[in-house]
Amino acid sequence: MIELPDLVAGALAAGTLSAFALGGGLARSRRRQNRQLAEIAALRTRLDGTARAFTAEVEHLATQRVPAAARQVAHPHLAVPGPLQPLTAGTPLGIALENAVLALQSEAAAQRTRIDAAAQAGMRGAVREIQAALYRLQDALRGLQQRYDDPELAQTLFRLDHENEQSLRRAQVAAVVCGAWVGLAREESHLVDAVTGGQARLAGYQRVQVHNHLEPGTALVSHAVEPVAVIVAELLDNALRHSAPDTDVVVSLEHVHHGVCVTVDDAGLGMTHDERERAQRLVAGDDPILLTDLGDPPRMGLAAIGRLTRQFDLSVDLSSASPYGGVRAVLRVDSHLLSRLDPADRPPAASAPRTTRTTRRTAPDRAAAPTPAHAYGTEAGAPEAPPGHREPQDDEGDGLPQRRRRTRTAAPAPAAAPARSPARRPEDAAAALGALQSGTAAARAAAGDPGDSPRPHAAADHTDRNNDIDHIDHIDDEGGAAR
Amino acid sequence: MTGRPAGRPLVPAYLSTGGVTRPSRPHLERLSVLARSGEPPPAGLPAAELALLDSLEGGSLAVVEAAALLRLPVSAVRVLAADLVDRDLVLARAPIPPAERYDPDLLKRVADGLRALKLRP
Repeated sequence: MIELPDLVAGALAAGTLSAFALGGGLARSRRRQNRQLAEIAALRTRLDGTARAFTAEVEHLATQRVPAAARQVAHPHLAVPGPLQPLTAGTPLGIALENAVLALQSEAAAQRTRIDAAAQAGMRGAVREIQAALYRLQDALRGLQQRYDDPELAQTLFRLDHENEQSLRRAQVAAVVCGAWVGLAREESHLVDAVTGGQARLAGYQRVQVHNHLEPGTALVSHAVEPVAVIVAELLDNALRHSAPDTDVVVSLEHVHHGVCVTVDDAGLGMTHDERERAQRLVAGDDPILLTDLGDPPRMGLAAIGRLTRQFDLSVDLSSASPYGGVRAVLRVDSHLLSRLDPADRPPAASAPRTTRTTRRTAPDRAAAPTPAHAYGTEAGAPEAPPGHREPQDDEGDGLPQRRRRTRTAAPAPAAAPARSPARRPEDAAAALGALQSGTAAARAAAGDPGDSPRPHAAADHTDRNNDIDHIDHIDDEGGAAR
Repeated sequence: MTGRPAGRPLVPAYLSTGGVTRPSRPHLERLSVLARSGEPPPAGLPAAELALLDSLEGGSLAVVEAAALLRLPVSAVRVLAADLVDRDLVLARAPIPPAERYDPDLLKRVADGLRALKLRP
């Protein structure tokens, strides 16, 4: 019976042991469960945090970044804010958000270009019609100017013509900015005419002083005439607008190595560095033009210059300051756009300023060979023709009055004056006619039959013509007075 | 003159006088005859006035002729010429009047009267 308690004790021990073992396992599993619960809670919190951060990021994208990105399309100087959490930058999420912004920008830019093109097309159509109508009005006004010379009426007609020119300039510039052609075909014209024509299109054109240092007959090929006039008008308009009304705007036309330069100087405020850079960018014409970029009301002058310089291979430079304090604008017309007109055959317009160079001195040389780069020394040394001197013309025999170009001279020699007697005073004319009458009467009386006699007058006249040019002047003058 | 540019002139007429159309002396007419006085032109003369002086170099011209030559309206040339006359650079002469024509009405009435006298023996 001893076995029984042993057995019981053994069983008890085993039971206790297993109970301990079970209890330990239970406690361990409970601990693990607790740990897992804590982990789950932590993960849930993190998930919530991430979701919140994602929402906030998308919210930020929608409210801040997308509008800014869209605005940046129109105004490149604006900055687009980055993501809220800088850490997202490299992550897939950050890249995806960045792509969304970029896609939006490219689409917005494309839309903007399309809409602007449509606006330009609409404006181009409207403005072209206006331009054509203004040209018709100009024709009518000029017809009236030719027909009526009453001062009051002429004053009105001149004013209307000037107003019309200004409207025409605006319409033309708007058309050019919108991609249209300049709208008027001209024939080959003197460069100074194009510059003077551009000057006439402005209010305040009286303030413009044009100094023409070109050789006589320097002309533009036909397709460059109107563009040059438009560009000069716009440059002058800027100069007049940004300088005081009591200052002059000085234009000078000069030959340079590759062609001709038209320099416009004003004595105004000048431009700041940024303004100058923007202006230079516009006149270079490299960027496409959008109407919405030009401001409200759109400032079209520089943009039009940009279009024209690119189309017609001209170049405009606004990068230097004028010695007068304002802006110096230089339009360069290259040699391939230049041609030559005979000033005797096709004189420049009456109002176009004379050249300061003397006529037909270098003209033949220039046609044959390009002028050396430093030809200025030869100019100073060249003998000036005396003011009253006139070259004998080969084609003077046709009896019609010929226009002769006369060079402008600052100080004419007084010695030339006595040769040209003021033969047109009434008394002198009467005396000359009286002498002629008495002379012919005497000759008739002397010669029995005047038909037989040779004509000594004509022969003498002919020899005189070769000998004494001043004498021809004299005869011409009397002939003029007798007419 | 050969080679006259056709088409629209580049330089409008008002530029020649700076927009002025009232001549400083009113008696210049379309047919007034202009001639150079022989005085040398001073420096600084407006371009259009120099052009007018040039056109007179070949002899005297009527105002309309000078206008046609310079392609300017007569009103502008009158202003230019008046200024040049003021500066003693140009002499202007009144137009040669057309011969005094009889009034055709009067002639007709006289003829009628004569005929009436003749018919009334």
